[in-house]
Amino acid sequence: MLSCEKLTVRFGGLMALNALSLQLHEGELLGLIGPNGSGKTTFFNALTGLYRLASGNLAFGGRDITGFTPRAIYDAGIARTFQRSRLCLPLSVFDNLMVGNHRKLSRGLWFNLLRRRRFRAELTRQMEFARTLLRTFNPRLPQRLFDAAGSLGMIDRRRLEVCRALIGEPKLLLLDEPSAGMTHDETSELMDDILAARERIPGLSIILIEHEMSVIERVSDRCVVLSFGEKICEGSYQKVAADARVQEAYLGVE
Amino acid sequence: MTTQSPGRPAVWPGLVAVVAVAGFCYLFLRVEHQWAVAALAVCAVVAVLAVRRTAWPALAGAAWSEHPTVLGWISLISALLFIALFYENHFALLMLATVMLYSVACLGLTIQFGYAGVVNFAGAAFFGIGGYTAAMLTLHTGLPHLLVIVIGGLMAGLIGSVLVLPLLRTRGHYAAVITVAFAILFKSFLEVNELLGGPQGLKVPGLRILGWSFNSNVELGRDLEVSFYASYAVLSLALLAVTLLMVKRLERSWVGLSLDVVRLDETAAAVFGFNVAWWKLFAFTLGNVCAGIAGAVYAMMIGFVAPASFTFAESLILVSIIILGGVGNPIGVLPAAALVILLPEKLQVIQEYRFLLFSVFVILVLLFRPQGLLPRRLREYYAGWRRA
Amino acid sequence: MDLGLLGQYAFNGLMLGVVYAMVAVGFTLFFGVLDVIKFSHGDVLTVGAFTGLVTYLGLSAAGVTLHPALAAAAMIVAMLLMALLGAGIARFLVLPLRAAPPINVLLITLMTGTVLRESIRLFYPSGANPKPFPHLLPTDSLSLGSFTLRYDNAILLILGLASIVVIHLIVTRTRLGLAIRAVAQDGETAQIMGINFQAVVLITFALGSALAALAGVTAGLYYNEINFGMGLLLGVIGFSAAVVGGLGNLYGAIIGGFLFAGLQTLGAAWFSVPAYKDVFSFAVVIVLMTWKPSGLIAERSAERV
Repeated sequence: MLSCEKLTVRFGGLMALNALSLQLHEGELLGLIGPNGSGKTTFFNALTGLYRLASGNLAFGGRDITGFTPRAIYDAGIARTFQRSRLCLPLSVFDNLMVGNHRKLSRGLWFNLLRRRRFRAELTRQMEFARTLLRTFNPRLPQRLFDAAGSLGMIDRRRLEVCRALIGEPKLLLLDEPSAGMTHDETSELMDDILAARERIPGLSIILIEHEMSVIERVSDRCVVLSFGEKICEGSYQKVAADARVQEAYLGVE
Repeated sequence: MTTQSPGRPAVWPGLVAVVAVAGFCYLFLRVEHQWAVAALAVCAVVAVLAVRRTAWPALAGAAWSEHPTVLGWISLISALLFIALFYENHFALLMLATVMLYSVACLGLTIQFGYAGVVNFAGAAFFGIGGYTAAMLTLHTGLPHLLVIVIGGLMAGLIGSVLVLPLLRTRGHYAAVITVAFAILFKSFLEVNELLGGPQGLKVPGLRILGWSFNSNVELGRDLEVSFYASYAVLSLALLAVTLLMVKRLERSWVGLSLDVVRLDETAAAVFGFNVAWWKLFAFTLGNVCAGIAGAVYAMMIGFVAPASFTFAESLILVSIIILGGVGNPIGVLPAAALVILLPEKLQVIQEYRFLLFSVFVILVLLFRPQGLLPRRLREYYAGWRRA
Repeated sequence: MDLGLLGQYAFNGLMLGVVYAMVAVGFTLFFGVLDVIKFSHGDVLTVGAFTGLVTYLGLSAAGVTLHPALAAAAMIVAMLLMALLGAGIARFLVLPLRAAPPINVLLITLMTGTVLRESIRLFYPSGANPKPFPHLLPTDSLSLGSFTLRYDNAILLILGLASIVVIHLIVTRTRLGLAIRAVAQDGETAQIMGINFQAVVLITFALGSALAALAGVTAGLYYNEINFGMGLLLGVIGFSAAVVGGLGNLYGAIIGGFLFAGLQTLGAAWFSVPAYKDVFSFAVVIVLMTWKPSGLIAERSAERV
């Protein structure tokens, strides 16, 4: 599904990503782990076209997407959440969800200005869709569809951000530490909800950046460990957890 | 948290608001004596402050959200009645028309700045482009005047689109400086260019549509002579109504949503597939077209165009209007424009000081109430959608 | 073109460059420290120039006739008062808006600039007209072939360059400068490390504004004329010079200032109609800012995604 070959990202003299190669199969949930600063978010940024690749190739669904703009990446079916929450707080919950739904909204001027009845119909459909999705994550969220996103608590905001990425029914979902700041139970719940949502989007692949290892252990099909921009280990969770190099990267050498 | 009120909000608080505002405007325009004007202004301030503590603003606001069509028509008819009431008062009608035309230009700025986040400190320049285009076309060609007005708008949009490349390449506040540079450049250019009349400017023939000359008084019967400004006032009202409707519809649609995302977070917008450059170009151009059309009509009404009317300071006045009124709220533009234009005209003593005065106002607003007179509210795609 | 004329053009260009550089350095300091575009900077320059003029008028009315003393007094008084003004603007108008979107700071400083500009126009006797600025420095000149080098102009040029060097030294060699650079890099961390954030901000604004005042009096002494709108023009160009040089970068501001002056002088020499030179200058602003939006020497800050 996704094929990354020798991705390199440089900031001045610093090698943020060093010839990283990665494959992802359709429907897989890949855990991306590594100590802070190892390049996980940089990888996401490179993948979504926000950072320029110094070298390397990206292919998705058989198509070459190297050098694509963020817009084109979205059109290809890749959606993401951000490590630092990037919701539009002054806008309503519904509006924020619709931001993720760009693909399915008719943006023509004629339609929006003059075909008001059809617009209302589309609007009503989207509202229903939004409510259904939100309900999966928190049964009380749909009631707050019209509230400002800024009025939600932190946990709900994270849920909203995940929903925003999901609502466009992407083929690949990139989750960047979605559970940051949550308790163990809240994280568990979020993961369950994400998996439940996955059921409804057949073939959805996920790359998950996480720090809580129990989560990775539970939900991931496979793991990739990064350190200083390089892949140092790959395999099932049990395999990477036992790997000496991985332990060294996290804990340091004696 | 929103609380659901039982049943639909009533329409009468909105009616009361319309009547109150209309009544006040009538008094304000009628009154001549300087002290009376000042007193009225003070009363208005006191009234606004007092009313804010009651439930009235919420009731009126709900009424407007719920019954926009009815209240909109009533406002339109009130405005027409207004024009009829002042049928022989040149000054009042000229003022009304000016406020409405400036409002149209400021609605354009609202699209640019309030929605798309594109700052434009050259609003007066685009207003002037419309005016000068109208002047040149009516003086040198025989094109029908309605077409001239449209072309005035298009010219403003066209010249504005030249600025878009710099605006897109520069971040946020740097882009603002580019518009400042353009505003100053425009005025300097007008002053030195003999073809466009130089510092004295150009005289502009009055508007004629289908043989109806806007610049001659209308005679109804033996004793009734209507000021020629009435025609312009009606045209301006029509223009304002259309622009307002368009801006509201735009905001309450996926277009409005797109503009908002582009303004609030360009990175997130790009990552979710929005074409940031296109939306900024769209907003900037549309806003300039509005300013250009308003400028063209204004030039024909006033009868001349000169560089001194389209300075950087005038652009700042336009920006002040949208800040005072509440950035992003098209309805706020109207009272703000009325305040900024009518107050110095009626209170002659402050006419010289208006740039200074309104700059101080804006500073105070930015420090103490940055959301302005009528803050922008959450998007409502159509009346009553929360109950859907 | 005869060498004398060329020399004159070059000198004019240099002088203009120094003035622009002084303004640009101010902008860069403000941006570096607070990430703000203080658009009243140009108008502070104007107020400084007028303050210098008023000081001169006051002192000569009081009987002081020694010209160099008058010049020095004009400069010092202007610098002190503008330092206060700049710090005041920072304290009451800019710092309170730290949490607001940056555009609000731009707006408030733009409006402040307008207030300053309009105040001069309205309250200074016939403020709308240009005011003659006295010749306070020795006007003897040195003949170098067909080029006449006037002593006063040479002094001003050296003074301007010296002031930039002084600022540079302050920023790079003193503890205050270290504090300024720390705050510019990371305000929060600097505060945690014990640096008095507010004091540093106010001092930085005071420094920049004093420099602007000096630039204003210098411009007055060089062109022998000041008017209420001079700050707006100088401000726009000075800001663009700072941007093109790389906002936050002191050397860039200087380079930017001279670059703009060079282009403007070339333009003045090119266009037979002197009036078009303003149009040309601002067109250059737009073009240069489009070409190098992040500066010739790239800006230090980057957004975290």
